[in-house]
Amino acid sequence: MTWSHWQMCAGTTEIDCMSSTPVIDVERLNLTYGDFHAVKDLSFQVRRGELYALLGTNGAGKTSTLEIIEGHRTATSGTVRVFGQSPRDRRAVRPRMGIMLQESGFSPDLTVKESVRLIGKLTQRTDTVERVLSVVDLTRKAGTKVSQLSGGEKRRLDFATAVYGAPELIFLDEPTTGLDIQSRDDLWDAVDKLREDGSTIVLTTHYLEEAQQRADRIGLMHRGAFHREGTVSELTQTLPAAIRFSLPAPAPALPLQATRESDGKFLIETFGLQKDLYTLLRWAQDHAVELRELQAGPTRLDDVFRAIDND
Amino acid sequence: MLSIALSELVQIFRNRLVLVTSLVMPVVVSAFFIYQHEVFAALGSLGYIAAIVMFTVGAFGLYTTTVTTLASRRQNLFLKRLRSTAAGDTGILSGLLLPITVISLVQVAVIMTVLAVVTGEPDNVFLLAAAVLSMVIMMLGLGLATAGLTNSPEHAQVTTLPVSLGTIAVASWVGITGTEELTLLKRLLPGGSATELAVNAWNGGVPVTESLILLAPTLSWVVVAVALASRIFRWEPRR
Repeated sequence: MTWSHWQMCAGTTEIDCMSSTPVIDVERLNLTYGDFHAVKDLSFQVRRGELYALLGTNGAGKTSTLEIIEGHRTATSGTVRVFGQSPRDRRAVRPRMGIMLQESGFSPDLTVKESVRLIGKLTQRTDTVERVLSVVDLTRKAGTKVSQLSGGEKRRLDFATAVYGAPELIFLDEPTTGLDIQSRDDLWDAVDKLREDGSTIVLTTHYLEEAQQRADRIGLMHRGAFHREGTVSELTQTLPAAIRFSLPAPAPALPLQATRESDGKFLIETFGLQKDLYTLLRWAQDHAVELRELQAGPTRLDDVFRAIDND
Repeated sequence: MLSIALSELVQIFRNRLVLVTSLVMPVVVSAFFIYQHEVFAALGSLGYIAAIVMFTVGAFGLYTTTVTTLASRRQNLFLKRLRSTAAGDTGILSGLLLPITVISLVQVAVIMTVLAVVTGEPDNVFLLAAAVLSMVIMMLGLGLATAGLTNSPEHAQVTTLPVSLGTIAVASWVGITGTEELTLLKRLLPGGSATELAVNAWNGGVPVTESLILLAPTLSWVVVAVALASRIFRWEPRR
């Protein structure tokens, strides 16, 4: 934890501090555009030190929600508090938060170094351009104009300005879109380092495996409201795990209820994966049946997502 | 604000198109007016030349660049980026517009100085400075309002035409024909009273107190423009 984080948590244990202090407090948030209700009665909190992922289908309202929390947009009704203050109070809140926008928003005529220096200075945080550029591996591009950067390099530049001065709260809006695998890994390494230092992260992404691997909690939005909210395991527990396989014909009757999929494979959906998998394997061994293309695994976030879409 | 202004200055000098249209063209046009000062003085007066070069810089340099800059910075989300920092809205706008404002003031000062060297000094320098300042503030206000209606730098080529051509036309009309007839209309049109003020300041012959009243219509345009801008100015592109 950084000194400022320690100061805030004085008198509490680190775990208490991280878990009990809401960095973001959203209550009954609504946003309407004319007749369109973009965000409906949304309430949630993001606790200190947490990585909170705001996920949803296209048009679910997550960017609108994020922009209200960032202070870029005004809510129709409801309250939003960031560090206990209105996010519209930029002078009070912005020095403590870094924002990685969904689209770059840099002047094409400025160089990488000039862009980081300008935005860094305006954040009122202390850091050096050189350090931040080395974090995102853009040191060699310091003198290059933004107009000459690739899409991935612009995303890295965006990330660099968001993490300038290691802010307490960082918004990452689809941070890895357009990045190659190496750059993605580097970015997540940098995020891990920031979290070790106590930063709170709010993430939106279309790469669900990133949220599944890294988010402490997830808010799943659909049509402007939370469809579900919780940890990855809480979300995935709501759907059955799947066992898929194919069988050589003819085969004896299966020991468990299965459905036949369009590609001819059998599907067993279960809330007791380990037990049912054991039963199936025992049955296969007893009857000398080969289970071909056997796949078994817990429910993934993708499945939860698809279930929302099918609702 | 100063760091934004500095980066804006760098951008102006790196963008050749802006450099030529905003800085070089007004100077070239003004140079032509000074070179042909006898012809234009016969048409109106030396004060008319002072007014027309003032509005050439104000309309084609300051106003057009203000609109184009704000539309461009909004279109590429640079305004949103700046608003993601701790900088306030007033500081952001001031920083973005400070360089072109200072450049325009320097241009007008240099052009007026050259005009004075070639044709003789103005009657009242302070009154002339008041005319220039009121024109600059009015053009900035109108620029902010027009930027609210402008989606892109390309769109600015169209949206800036009414005000830029209109103020030049008004300056020419008032500068050449004076305000003896249609006085109220000429003074109330944007640029009309600022032109009369510049003409009076250069030519002399009108009491200072009488001329200072002419600041009121110009500053009224500032109020109207700022009120309009506060309603229609957008920080992000339309979705």
